Amino acid sequence: MMNKMLKWILWLAGFVFLILYPKLFGIYYSNVFVTFAIFALYATSYNLLLGYTGLLSFGHAMFFGTGAYGTALALTHISGFPLIPALLAGALAAAILALILCPIMVRVGGTAFAMLHLAFGGLMYVLALKLRHITGGEDGIGGFDIPPFSIPGIVSFDMTDPLQFFYFAMVVLIGSIWILWFFTKTPFGQIMIAVRDNAKRVDYLGFRVPQTKAVIYVFSGAFCGVAGAVYALFQNLISAEDGFHVMTSFAPIMLTMVGGIGSFFGPIFGSAIFGILEELTTRYTERVELVFGLVLIFVIMFAPMGFVGTVKMIKEKWFTRQGV
Amino acid sequence: MKGKKWLLSIVVVVCCIALLGLSPAMGAKSKFDPSKMGDMSDLDLSNPVIPTGDTIKIAIVASFSGPAAAVGDIYFASVQSVAHDYNKRGGILVDGKKKLVQVIKANHESKVPIAKKVSERMVLQEKVDVLWGTNGSHLMKVINQVADKYKTIAVSAAAVSDELYDAQNFSRYSFMTSISTSQVGRGMAYYYGQVRKKETKFYILCQDYLFGHSIAGGFKAGLKEYYPDAELVGEDYHKLFLTDFAPYLTKVKAAGAEVVYTGDWIPDAANLLVQARQMGLDLPFANLFINNPPFLQQVGIEGTDGLVHIGQIGSDGKAFKTEGQIKYYKAWNDQYPKWKKPFDTTTYEHGTGTIGAYRMQTYWLLDVIERAGSTDPEKIIKVWENDTWEDVNGTVYKMRGIDHKTERDLFIELYVPPEQQKESMNIEPYYWFKDCSNTGPSYKLPADKVTPVMDPKLKDIRKGS
Repeated sequence: MMNKMLKWILWLAGFVFLILYPKLFGIYYSNVFVTFAIFALYATSYNLLLGYTGLLSFGHAMFFGTGAYGTALALTHISGFPLIPALLAGALAAAILALILCPIMVRVGGTAFAMLHLAFGGLMYVLALKLRHITGGEDGIGGFDIPPFSIPGIVSFDMTDPLQFFYFAMVVLIGSIWILWFFTKTPFGQIMIAVRDNAKRVDYLGFRVPQTKAVIYVFSGAFCGVAGAVYALFQNLISAEDGFHVMTSFAPIMLTMVGGIGSFFGPIFGSAIFGILEELTTRYTERVELVFGLVLIFVIMFAPMGFVGTVKMIKEKWFTRQGV
Repeated sequence: MKGKKWLLSIVVVVCCIALLGLSPAMGAKSKFDPSKMGDMSDLDLSNPVIPTGDTIKIAIVASFSGPAAAVGDIYFASVQSVAHDYNKRGGILVDGKKKLVQVIKANHESKVPIAKKVSERMVLQEKVDVLWGTNGSHLMKVINQVADKYKTIAVSAAAVSDELYDAQNFSRYSFMTSISTSQVGRGMAYYYGQVRKKETKFYILCQDYLFGHSIAGGFKAGLKEYYPDAELVGEDYHKLFLTDFAPYLTKVKAAGAEVVYTGDWIPDAANLLVQARQMGLDLPFANLFINNPPFLQQVGIEGTDGLVHIGQIGSDGKAFKTEGQIKYYKAWNDQYPKWKKPFDTTTYEHGTGTIGAYRMQTYWLLDVIERAGSTDPEKIIKVWENDTWEDVNGTVYKMRGIDHKTERDLFIELYVPPEQQKESMNIEPYYWFKDCSNTGPSYKLPADKVTPVMDPKLKDIRKGS
C-alpha cells in the first residue's frame, strides 16, 4: 500500500516537474529536454527489437528519417494540413516502410539482419541526397509552416511558440512511450521476450514467429516514425544528415547499451546520460562522438548491463548486506 | 519680375548640374571613413583582445572544425579586425551606453542540426545581438529561422543563395549583405557576353546543394539575358567536400568546354583547381571562391594565369586611389607579419578580396547599429532597410527594403602573373603574390546590370504586412 502510494507521489512529482520545467530552466533547456525526449522515444522503440526481441539493427534511422520526411513533405505540399494528421503521416510512412521490408527482415536474424539494415539505411541516405526535387537533397526540407494544435471551436495552441511546443511534444512523446510500455506488458509482449530467448520453442508452442516478428517490427518502425515526425516539427527542418545518417542509426544502439539493454526504461536513461554529456562536452570540444565512444567502451567493459542494470546490481548488493 | 525668373532659372540649372556631377556614392546615407579608424598597431588575430561583460555580441556561426575549418578562421579574422577597430575607438554608443564589440565563435561543424542548436545557444544563453554567417546556404537557412523565431538580427555575409530571401524563407530579422547568386551568375554572363565576347562554350560544375544549384541558375539566366549565343556544353553537380574530381574533369574535357563556371568554395575550390591542372586541363575557371592564396600558390603562376574571378569588393583598375584606402590597407597588412597560426598563411596577407568583403560588411553592420543607437532589432531594421552605405573603395551598397538584398557594383578580376599585377596593385611591392597569378586588370559591372532577383510574391506579402 505504502509502495503504491510512493509510486503515485513520484509520478505526481514528475508531472509537476515537467509542467514547471520551462519556467525553471528557460527555453534553451526546454529545447534540450525535447531533444532528449525525442531520442528517448526513438531508442525505446528501437529497444523493442534489440532488447525485447534480440534483433540488432544497424539501420534504424531509415524509420526515424522516413517519419520526419513524411511529416515535412505533408506540411510542405498540403496547404492547411493539420498538426495531428501531419504527425500521423510520419508514423504511417515509417510503418509502411517497415511493412514493405518485413517479409525479408523477419526471415533473417543475427548478422544478416544487422547488415541488411545497414544496407537499406545507406540506400535511404543516398536516395534522400539524390532525389533532390522530393527531399531537397543536401539542404533537406525546411521552413514549412507548423500548424497550430487546435480543437475547432475550443482551443488553439501556437506550435511555433517554444513553450507551447514543449508541452505538445511531451504529451506525444510520453504518450508514445506509455503505449510502448503497455505493449510490453500484454501477452503479446511476453511472446516477444520468448522469441528473443528461444524462437524455436515459441514455434513449437504454436506461435508464428515470423508473423510475431513482423508485428513487432512494424510497431517499432511506426514509433520511430513518431519520434522522427516530432523531430521534424521541432527543428522545422529535416535533412539526410540528421534523418538517415549512419550516426543516427547508431544513436539508439548506444543509448540502449549505455542505459541498459533489455530494460524498458534503460534507453530513456541512456538518452538522458548522452543528452547531459553532449550538453557538457560541446561547450569545450566538437569531438562529442569521441566522448560518446569512450563512454560506450567503458560501459561495455565495466558495466555491460548498462545504467539500469548497474543500479539494480548495486541495489541488490546493498539490500543483501542490509539483510545480513 | 523678369530678372527674378532669370535668377530662378539659373539657380535651377546650377542645382541640376551639381546634382548630375555628384557621384552616386555621395548620395549614401553613411560611409566608411578611414580617418576615423582606431589605432590598429596592436591588431593581433592570433591573440585577439576580446572584451566580455556588457558588450555588443556578434556570434560567428560557421565551421571551425572539419574540412571547412579554414573558412571559419577567415570569418573570425575579418569580423574580429573590425571589432578591434571599433573597440580601439572606445566602442559604440547604444542604448545610452558606450559598449565594446565582442566576437564569439559558434561552431556549426557544417551540420544542419548542430547549426540550429548552436544558433539557439548563442541567442538564448549567450544573448548575442547578431548572428553572422555562414559557409553553406542550407546552414544560413537554419540561422535565419532561429533569428526569426527569437527575433534576433542575422547577417548573411557569406551565404549567397537568392532563395534565402524569397517569399518562403524571408525573415525581416535577416539581412543579406553579401552578393547573391543571381548577381554572380548574371555578372559573369554580362562579362563574357558584353565585355569579353570571346569564349562561347561553357561548362557548369557546382556543389550539389542549394547554393550550387542557385549559382548555376543565376549563370544560366544571365546567359539568356546577356549572351544568347553562348552554348552550355555540360552541367554537373558534385557532393560537398569531394576529394576526387577526376570523373567530372574527364567529362569537362570531353565536352569541349572553353570555360568552366563554378561556385565551389574551399576545400572543393582548391581540390578542383589542383586536380584540373594535374590532369592537364588548362581551361579558365570563371569563379567566385577560387581566390585563396595558399592553394593558388600550390598550383603556381602558370596554372592560375587566366582565372576569372568575380568579386563583391574591388575597384575599376588600380586598387589604391586615395590615401584613405592605403591607410585602411596598411592597418591590416602592416600587422600581418607578427601573426601566428592559423593567421600566418598568405590567406591573411592582404585583408582585401574575400576578407575585405567580409570586413566591409561588418563595418556596415556596426555603422547601422551606431546610427540606430541601439541593439534593439526593431531599431536596427528601421535604419537598415533602404539604407545606403559607401565602402572604402567608394562602392555604394543599398539594402533593398523589400527583400533585404544588397544592390551594388561587382568587379571582374583577371588573374595575371606577378609582373602584370601592378595594373591593380599600384603600391609597393607592385604585386599581390609573387608565386602565383592574381588580380591584374579589373572591370566594374554596374549595379543596374547585376541587380539581385526579387521574388515577386515577397513584394505582395511585404506590402500586405
